[in-house]
Amino acid sequence: MTFAERMLKIDRRIIFLVIGLCTLLPLLYPVGLPIKISPEVRGVYDYIESLPEGAVFLLSLDFDPASKPELHPQAISLLRHAFRKNLRVIAMTLWVSGTGMADQVVTQVAREMGKENGKDYVFLGWSPGGTAVIINMGQDLYGAFPADYNGKSTKGLPVLQGIANLRDVNYAVSLGAGNPGVEAWYVFGKDKYKFELGGGCTGVMAPGLYPLLRSGQINGLIGGLRGAAEYEILIDQKGKALAGMDAQSATHLAIIVLVIICNLFYFSMRKQAKQQGYSGA
Amino acid sequence: MIFLRRQVPLLITLISGLVFAAQYYVPHPVSEQMLTSVTKWLQIISGFALVLGVSSLFHVHAVKIRRKEAGWGYSFVLYVSMLGTIAVGLWSNGKEAVDGTMTAFGWVYNFMMVPLQGTMFAILAFFIASAAYRSFRARSREAAVLLIAAVIVMMGRVPLGEYLIPLSGDLSQWILNVLNASVRRAILIGVSLGTVALSIKIIFGMERSYLGGGKE
Repeated sequence: MTFAERMLKIDRRIIFLVIGLCTLLPLLYPVGLPIKISPEVRGVYDYIESLPEGAVFLLSLDFDPASKPELHPQAISLLRHAFRKNLRVIAMTLWVSGTGMADQVVTQVAREMGKENGKDYVFLGWSPGGTAVIINMGQDLYGAFPADYNGKSTKGLPVLQGIANLRDVNYAVSLGAGNPGVEAWYVFGKDKYKFELGGGCTGVMAPGLYPLLRSGQINGLIGGLRGAAEYEILIDQKGKALAGMDAQSATHLAIIVLVIICNLFYFSMRKQAKQQGYSGA
Repeated sequence: MIFLRRQVPLLITLISGLVFAAQYYVPHPVSEQMLTSVTKWLQIISGFALVLGVSSLFHVHAVKIRRKEAGWGYSFVLYVSMLGTIAVGLWSNGKEAVDGTMTAFGWVYNFMMVPLQGTMFAILAFFIASAAYRSFRARSREAAVLLIAAVIVMMGRVPLGEYLIPLSGDLSQWILNVLNASVRRAILIGVSLGTVALSIKIIFGMERSYLGGGKE
């Protein structure tokens, strides 16, 4: 077995170790490289910034704990921004396994910003039906969610005053890790009920949502940890996303180096095989 | 019996398919009220589907345990975990926290489900790196193009990449906004046309596989 062949069949635990170190070391010793703000993230930020005090902001946390590292920082930043702008916040989730986490993040940020449940914000929780919930909210918000997550009747809540359905929402953002998520909110929500929509998603999902972004179906997109880090910069509150960017930089670079090395060995093997073929002929 | 099992479902599908395709274009209050009622039904049916899913899962794994099939131990773990979570959830009234104090259900959620799901997702990074090293090779011209695009996007999406190659950020934005968006849009249009065609086939009874293949 040649050196190239041996290198191509390297023990995968060595690769795991490299990735592990590339994640761990930057977390322990952060560098803090500058981050450029993308127009997609600025789209969401600018729209929230343009909303007047008391405008209705709906945040749908459509993800489960598996996507927590990427979408949790996005949720924190968006909630901080909305509360700082004194918007009326309606939070909910279309993913049953994310309900507890969504409740925690909304409660935690609201407490940090001195906001009162029922008056400044409400967490509606989860309701079965997936996309049907969006249509139901578009028809009658109180029919879809007769009570909030704490069992309090939604009718009569000061935060929901003057809101009958999704047509009364000024801006909605879905932080989606799959289906139902951003696409479902566009197809079943914005298209019919005509509210402005923004999106947030995991890094792997972001390329799939660019057609919605380019056509104006969503007015902004926060993609993965990078998007969350950009939002943290925009609201000037450093958080977990910015802290994780160095680790992401190092792992991306490690994977690129690994791919280049693998290709170098692959081409050297191909060259050897060709040479052997010629000498054999 | 065949009338109830075949004709009636086909008739229901035909009527509801046509009515709700038309409903989208009719903003009359009666039409809107009909949509409101039907989406409420949908929500209720989805609730029952959840019960059906859980009971089906119980049944499948109970059979596996009883017959001691390969991997029955995992089924046993699933059974214990599911029953345990349901019991704790009912005991805690489905709440993770009451007045800021974590319930037993909250403990299961925060200290078991959250880290387990997080771990599963985090493991992906390691496997992706290993898989990329083994299989991401420029075997053909197409593979080489894919490889170069992937390297540029990976560089452009992280601060270190932009720091080392300042042009990578703009290049990656261009790849995502122009090349990726147009290709994705083409795929979306194709999928959408396929969905419309399939819907028409279902509505008019040409596609009947959703009725199941039981004895008639």
